[in-house]
Amino acid sequence: MFKTQRVIRNNCMSVRKKSPIRLAARLLLAILIGTALQLVWKSAVLALPDDGSPWLNVQAILHSPLFIFVIFLMACQFFNWLMVLRDADLSYAQPITSLSYVSVFFLSVLYLKEAADLIQMTGIIFVLAGVWFISQTDHVTQFREREAK
Amino acid sequence: MSQTFIGVLLVVICTLLEGIGQVFLKKSVLRAVRWYLWISFGVVILSLETVIYTKALLFLDVGVAYAISSLNLISITLMSRCLLREKVTRKRWIGVCLIFIGVGLVVART
Repeated sequence: MFKTQRVIRNNCMSVRKKSPIRLAARLLLAILIGTALQLVWKSAVLALPDDGSPWLNVQAILHSPLFIFVIFLMACQFFNWLMVLRDADLSYAQPITSLSYVSVFFLSVLYLKEAADLIQMTGIIFVLAGVWFISQTDHVTQFREREAK
Repeated sequence: MSQTFIGVLLVVICTLLEGIGQVFLKKSVLRAVRWYLWISFGVVILSLETVIYTKALLFLDVGVAYAISSLNLISITLMSRCLLREKVTRKRWIGVCLIFIGVGLVVART
């Protein structure tokens, strides 16, 4: 058990030295992929035949370039997310990726011509304020500092 | 049990599974030994979550399910604090709560 804790601490200390710019770039990539994933997924679902038969839908999915692109984006998201988790706390990184709600909202309004209202705009302001609060905290827990206190 | 209740219950289970799956993925990058086991467990749990979420959509509207699943933020933050011993400061909690309310407002209208 002590050995495991030492490994965790050593890993965390090595994380501390890494550049936050690289973390920011990976978080940005996670948000961009998340946004693209939601939009492409929605387009892919809308392109499915309105037949209702599950078997025909499965066949359409397997032959749809959009769905193959969705799977590719999911794989990219997964590996990028592991890189993010290597450099940051889960409780830091996960809420920040909620910015994809903001980007999806604006892209849906701009390109899919979906309606926006005051309540949604208020929600966007809340999300942005929340991300600002989280960005003001340390991106990784410092185990040694915490033990010293 | 009404269909809505079953749907809500399934989505809440999904938020818990999301938290556990993410904790396993984080464990995989923290531990030098048996990291592949943590990744495998994480992927299995997140895949199970996708199946259950798809089932939940049979009982609930997408907008409602999406709004409830913003509880992910709370479950992930709690599990990070309790299972990963991450330092979740008051400022971080304020941020999480603001995002939770904001996402709820954005997706509840969809």
